[in-house]
Amino acid sequence: MEAIWLYQFRLIVIGDSTVGKSCLIRRFTEGRFAQVSDPTVGVDFFSRLVEIEPGKRIKLQIWDTAGQERFRSITRAYYRNSVGGLLLFDITNRRSFQNVHDWLEEARSHVQPHSIVFLLVGHKCDLEPQRQVSRQEAEKLASAYGMRYVETSARDAINVEHAFTELTRDIFQLVRSGDITIQEGWEGVKSGFVPNVVHSSEEVTKSDRRCLC
Amino acid sequence: MSDSEASIDPARSSEVAETVVSEMEAPPQKNTFLTPPDSDSQTADIALETPPGDCTRGNATDVAPTRKGRKTRQRPDPVQVLETQEEKPKVEEEPAKVSSKSTVAQGGWGYWGSWGKSIMSTASATVATVGHGITQAIEKAETSLGIPSPTELSAQIGDDGKQEGETRSETDKEEGDSASAMGSAMGMFSSLSTAVQSTGKTVLTGGLDALEFIGKKTMDVIAEGDPGFKKTKGLMIKTNTLSQVLREAKEREEQQTAEEVSSDTENKAHYGMLFDEFQGLSHLEALEILSRESESKVKSVLTTLSGEKLTELKEDLELIKEPFSLVEFDDEEVDEKKDDYAAEFVRELTEALERLHISTTAVKLEKASKNSFDQIAQMTNPMKEEGNEVGVEKTYTVEDVHLSAIRSLAELTARSIEQFHKVAEMILFCTTQKVTTLEQAKILSQVTIVLCKMISLLSKKFTTCLTTIGSYEKGDVLNPLITGVFLEASNSASYIQDAFQLLMPVLEVSHVQRSADFT
Repeated sequence: MEAIWLYQFRLIVIGDSTVGKSCLIRRFTEGRFAQVSDPTVGVDFFSRLVEIEPGKRIKLQIWDTAGQERFRSITRAYYRNSVGGLLLFDITNRRSFQNVHDWLEEARSHVQPHSIVFLLVGHKCDLEPQRQVSRQEAEKLASAYGMRYVETSARDAINVEHAFTELTRDIFQLVRSGDITIQEGWEGVKSGFVPNVVHSSEEVTKSDRRCLC
Repeated sequence: MSDSEASIDPARSSEVAETVVSEMEAPPQKNTFLTPPDSDSQTADIALETPPGDCTRGNATDVAPTRKGRKTRQRPDPVQVLETQEEKPKVEEEPAKVSSKSTVAQGGWGYWGSWGKSIMSTASATVATVGHGITQAIEKAETSLGIPSPTELSAQIGDDGKQEGETRSETDKEEGDSASAMGSAMGMFSSLSTAVQSTGKTVLTGGLDALEFIGKKTMDVIAEGDPGFKKTKGLMIKTNTLSQVLREAKEREEQQTAEEVSSDTENKAHYGMLFDEFQGLSHLEALEILSRESESKVKSVLTTLSGEKLTELKEDLELIKEPFSLVEFDDEEVDEKKDDYAAEFVRELTEALERLHISTTAVKLEKASKNSFDQIAQMTNPMKEEGNEVGVEKTYTVEDVHLSAIRSLAELTARSIEQFHKVAEMILFCTTQKVTTLEQAKILSQVTIVLCKMISLLSKKFTTCLTTIGSYEKGDVLNPLITGVFLEASNSASYIQDAFQLLMPVLEVSHVQRSADFT
């Protein structure tokens, strides 16, 4: 992996079990689609670089959480250090759409005191004939939450890049405008190494002070 | 064998280095790994047994301490043993332990081949890591500080030792008076005297002030020889969490890589970056999160209990803690001649994981280890490779082997930590009645041993391979590569053990939950 990036953003991907979280991430990070995949246990990790402007690369560290209810108590612990995330539902599964609200609430309450930037994703848009959630409906919900809405398909590779880069751009703007700041002890945003910029030793000394006992 | 290594004056370098190292190693729980509770006096006599004039090779020190220790232990010098035990054994313990590692004579890197037991003791492994850099560094620091040589020192100490009671005031006086470099150095060492023992040869201990002083200077010097403090970092800042240490190492490597304009960076082996690439850091961080949460849950449960229930639970928890401190690893069991080591490893691991009764498998570890061994096999015998591509014969350089070794170690370590992370997750929501938490703790300590054995074996295989392929290379090309492999292997083993420690609160909370479910 290239070592030169401006920032690292940690993203979390949440949503009901079987909506296709892992498949979407794999398509994005590995460029392939697996017909069969095992349910995620707890959390898995992926990373990829995204070039948001010429020469400006962001490293995305993606936490792929388990959707299954039984893992909920564990996955909750993982929200805190994320700056953003994809909130997925399956357009052919109405129930997964109805649960979006709960997922959002849960995420928001667990990232406190930080805030988190979400993108609402209607997944499996290649399965148009089985659609149970209309685009208008989803867009309405997204705007009510102040989010963007994107429909994707991991199988046909529709909008996958778009979804991740849009979210990354949004976060990047917030970082640039100072609405999101790099904080000690928070892994959501980290600054990377740019050639010829001396990275101060401050961070190291700062972290020394943090007492874990 | 490297001449530069051999040329270091053993008395000067190793003595002082030990002192510093002994201060820096050793968060208490790690020492439990290092030494079985009964062996203090034994290790002490090993240290003393080595004659003062023995030519130790400064840098090749502390390679296979425990093993070497055991062998020498069979012929202790009764007189010296007596002496040690009479004199302040408490103070003696620390440096003795360390010097047992470093004063044992080593035969250059050839000896690294039997490196091993240290892999199982976090503390000594770390000492091995750091000792390397520090010995040189200390020497430099010493020279630049004008610190008296150990011989001068021992004379000075001999005097001071007699007046132990009044040293404090005397130190202050001396420190106040002396302005010259020599004078301040003396003052510094006289403040050591409360803890200093002279037992035929110089053994320094304690003296925090002086050590801090040396330490500061040393850090600067080490920075020259160990950019990024890759090796030393972990020791210096013990308040950091494991993942923080690793992250910093990785970040420094990244920074380095970013700064290096040269095109050959891709060929360089950066353990930290590779470890992160295999998502080792993320798994470690997630495991730390679970561990911390579990720890606080256990604490809060304990505060709500009282009386008999509390005592009972506390006893249970104590039992569960035990397997976490009694990990013993006999390197002699690692038989590198065996052909089916990879299969054996996978079998042991799979069996152990099955006994945990928490549906988790070792598929990824299996793949990683198989890959590593296949690579070694291919690099060692490129001719035997029965491919269809007749005539295409790839030749491997020592750099290739080194890169492959570092990569394999980073991958296996990352996968091991991932395994522990998955185990933690499964334990937290699987409440099986088929196996007790205590059993699980024991099994997991077995798993740790198997994993460390694997790392040890792998590093041996890789260095054997390096030696074979690099037989025509000069020592100064080959030695650093071989040392590098062993250093990262010993780091790997430390990380795996530290990750194992993170499982303790997870098992505790699981036990608390289970007993709550039961009643």
